[in-house]
Formats: sequence, structure tokens, C-alpha cells
Amino acid sequence: MKRIKRTLVMITVGTILSSCAAVKPYQKAHLNQEDMKLSASKIQTYEHNFETYREGASGANGGKVGGGCGCN
Amino acid sequence: MQLKHFWAIGLFALNGFLLAQNSHQSKEIEVDFLVNYYQQDGDHAAVTGGNGTEKLHDTAPMIIVNVPIGNNSLNVATGVDFYSSASSDNIDPIRSGASGSDARAYANIDYTINNAYGNGSYGFLLGGSAEYDYTSFSFGGKWATASADDNRELALSGRIFFDRAQLIYPIELRNGTDWLSDGNRRTYNVSASYSQVLSQRAQLSLMSDVVYQSGLLSTPFHRVYFTGESRPRVEKLPDSRIKIPVGARLNYYVNDWLISRLYYRFYWDDFGIQANTAEIELPVAISQSVSITPFYRYHKQSAADDYRPFGEHNPGDEFYTSDHDLSDFNSHKVGLGLRYYPVFGVADFGSLLMKRLDFRFSVYDRSDGLSAFSVGMGVSFIINNH
Repeated sequence: MKRIKRTLVMITVGTILSSCAAVKPYQKAHLNQEDMKLSASKIQTYEHNFETYREGASGANGGKVGGGCGCN
Repeated sequence: MQLKHFWAIGLFALNGFLLAQNSHQSKEIEVDFLVNYYQQDGDHAAVTGGNGTEKLHDTAPMIIVNVPIGNNSLNVATGVDFYSSASSDNIDPIRSGASGSDARAYANIDYTINNAYGNGSYGFLLGGSAEYDYTSFSFGGKWATASADDNRELALSGRIFFDRAQLIYPIELRNGTDWLSDGNRRTYNVSASYSQVLSQRAQLSLMSDVVYQSGLLSTPFHRVYFTGESRPRVEKLPDSRIKIPVGARLNYYVNDWLISRLYYRFYWDDFGIQANTAEIELPVAISQSVSITPFYRYHKQSAADDYRPFGEHNPGDEFYTSDHDLSDFNSHKVGLGLRYYPVFGVADFGSLLMKRLDFRFSVYDRSDGLSAFSVGMGVSFIINNH
């Protein structure tokens, strides 16, 4: 079952990446908007911090991963 | 010298550096002032073995400065967390309530060197933090490359943390027993991210970290109670840990007033914790200069193998913790963000422009009874060097 799930995820990601359109710089007006950035906003740093302290899981979001604090 | 003196000297030096840059730079310097208040309460404090108040509040101001230096950039983030914790009083109940307060100061420096073609960069990372019983120093590097049409980007970074904790045990367990041998902790982190433009309205990023930690991974002042024993012991966890989170973010421009931001993360570590996290944000443009962003986050994790609730550990266990942060639970976070970003700025003071205001409020609820709220505010400035 786990192998089937992993295979489905890889097929989905591969399909998405292979169907990408070539977007020219003058066509990126929507993509360049502040809320379209592929990173968390600076003010979200605080929420990522308390989630790192209060949960056993961390990382993959640009925040703390365990070093630099007495957190998990 | 007090902590506030170090911070004041650091800010003065940074201000001098910025003024010096003004005479050479033609690009804009960005300065963000942020402040956040966080408050939580619950009934499972690890200091008292997983059964006690978790009341805590934290006020955290922060400054982030980004200075362009020719084709490169210097980013400095520094701040202080002023926190007060009711459970800290229970490390040594005889001491006054002031023992539950502390401050953690930190600073991170990121220097990025961009190549002449504009499609690649590398850089250096430096960081440090200090509080009463914990200090940290870190350094690292990063590298990124983008396709010629800027529709794809691959970024890699690595960082090492050298941490040291003071071995402060609960008052009744300070009888000369060497509960823990060493207060040092090392964290090695390698991160990778891949970003892809999918269409004129959508873009995706995939992110992952591989983290290896060694040394002191338990907390010296956490108590653990055992079946058939009235006297607790100091928390004890394995001296190494591997963590692998994998995340994905998908942003879609629905129309001129709505954007969809989706995030998912799967997490695994060799402590036995597996977790799934999903978040949705929906920025809605109320006008040309105001947007509100409702958001919701769900998190579910399994317990660490060495976790047991209060009083349920077997006296023969090799490793033991009753820290509910490592237990199995699910959590919900819901909140609202507000942004004000007029085209010509909020206020213009000549060479200083107040560009944007951000507010963010969230409520967090964990299935074991811990609840929290967070409220933050950010002000962005641009220092114009024309």
C-alpha cells in the first residue's frame, strides 16, 4: 500500500512538472504579485517558531529545524 | 554588561554601517520592524512530568535589514524573545516568580553573491543566539541556479549548529548524580528546494531538509515519573536523531481579487514521529491597497517511541520522556492576516518610505488541551539612496 501511494505521488509530481508552460517575463504579472511568492511571509516566522517548539515535526518551510534553540 | 546593552550597541553599529552604504549605493535598503505576542496554556508541562500548567507568554520584537551591495546583498535579522513561563517556576519552586522569566537574543546574517548573468548565486550564513541556559553558534553556505527563462530554480544550502545547554536539573534531583554527561548538541542540516512556474497563474515549489542531530537531545529540567516509583528522573533521550521533512507549496492566481496558497508537508524521524501538515491561505484583495488573508492549518503526528504519559514509564526503560510536544496529537490553527500596501506607500518621509503594514492573528488548538494565540504586526520601510 505504501509503495502504491509513493508511486502515485511520483506520477502526480512528474505529470505536473512535465506539463509546465514556458512563461515569458512579460507574461509574469500575476506570478510576481507579493502573495504569489513561494515562501512564507516574514510575519509568519513567529508562527513557524511556536509550531517548532510545540510540535515534534519541523522543517521544509524555511523555518527552524532543531538547531539554534532548545526546541525539538 | 546587560543583554539590552549588547543589543543597543549592535543596532548602533548596524545603523552606522547602513549610513556608510548610503554614500555608495543606488538601490534601495529594505528594513522591516516586526513584533509578536504569543500566549499559551495547557495541563501537560514536561517540567512536572507531563502534568502541570503550561502557561507561557512571549513578546518578540525583530528587525530585518536587507542591504544591496553592488550586485550582491547583505541580510541581517536580529531580535529578542522576552518570555515568561509558569512551569519554569517548577524547576525550583522555592525561588521567586521572577525565575520563570528569561530573554533569548539572536542574530542571523546572510550574504548573497549574484553572478553577472543574474541566473545564479551563492552565499554565506552566520548565526548565533543566547539565553540564560542555552547558547548557539551556526555557520553555513548556500547556492542557487535558475533556468535562462527564470521559470525553474534549484537552491541548496547547508548549515551546522553548535549548541550548548547548561545542565540545570529539577531542584530535588540535584544530589550530585550525573544524570546527563554533556550539554553539547550538534545539528547538521542540508536543505534543497526546487521551484517551477507551471503557467501564467500557477507556480510550485518542492522543499526538503535532511537533519542529523547528536549530543544532548533531551531537556535537563524535564521530569519523568515511573510506575511504582514516587521519585522522578531526568528526561533521557537517544543521543542522535535524523529528521526528514518533505514539503510542497502550490500558489494559484484565481482572479484579480483571490489567490490560493496551498502547503503540505510529510515528516519522518528516527524517534518514531511521523507527521502530516496541510495549510491553506486565501489572500483576498479588498481594494487596490488592502488585502485580508484567512488561513487554516491542520497538523497530525504520531508519538515518539520513547514517549509515555505522566507516570506510565516502565522503570526498566532505557530512554524516557513525558514531553507532550513529542506525543501523538492533532492540532488546528486558524487565523486572519491583513495587509495595507498603497501604491505610493503608507507614508513618505523624504528618503524614508513606509511601504507596507502587516497584521496577523492566529488561534492554535491541540487535541491534548494546549491552546494558544499569536498576534503580530510588521512595518516595512524603504530607504531610498537616489
